[in-house]
Amino acid sequence: MLVMSRREGETILIGDEIEIVIAHIGRSRVKVGIRAPRQLPVIAREMKLVREENLAAAANAPVSALSDLLAHLQPVSKQTQNR
Amino acid sequence: METKNFGRLSFEPESELEFPSGLPGFESRKRFVAVTFVESDPLVYLQSLEDPALCFITMPILAADPCYKLRVNGEDLEQLGLPQSRQPRIGDDVLCLTVVSVRETGPTANLLAPIVVNLQNRKAVQAVSPESDYSHQHALMPEEASVCL
Repeated sequence: MLVMSRREGETILIGDEIEIVIAHIGRSRVKVGIRAPRQLPVIAREMKLVREENLAAAANAPVSALSDLLAHLQPVSKQTQNR
Repeated sequence: METKNFGRLSFEPESELEFPSGLPGFESRKRFVAVTFVESDPLVYLQSLEDPALCFITMPILAADPCYKLRVNGEDLEQLGLPQSRQPRIGDDVLCLTVVSVRETGPTANLLAPIVVNLQNRKAVQAVSPESDYSHQHALMPEEASVCL
């Protein structure tokens, strides 16, 4: 990873089409402005993780795997009720 | 409505949940209903009303982590119609669910981005909390169990 130091108001260029501007430096947050071609998605890292996790979660879960999870989550008395 | 997993499902219109922004990866899906069965307690199935094949398995977040601290950012509070002045309380103000993924390595819960439902107006959001150290893949079953599988 390339690491650079920039002050408030300064800019980083990535290739010919991407600009990162350090718009504001606060106590615990940095406000960053991004200019990039429309077809390049720009998102927070955790957003990408959540998106991928949702896609994986929405793919059908095998029922057998769920029954193991349920056995783990349910108290023993409830399990005997279900039988 | 017809669903892929549950066949024909009927529900009260008041039990419908509205996600104004959909969910990450499913931004166009805004209408869901929470489905529970005694046999699968505490799981809560979030069935899409717009796509019969789309259904998320979720559970109350406190069942996954009893010590969970909910932190919702200002934008999400606004979407939910909740006041900015304080954090919502699980059980009193909101229902808080975590999405469960089932993989070969075992089931996990996304504690990084809980689903928060305003109990007053049934508006819901998947609130991504960047400041937290919570995992998007929190293991739900202890390792010993998966060794036995």
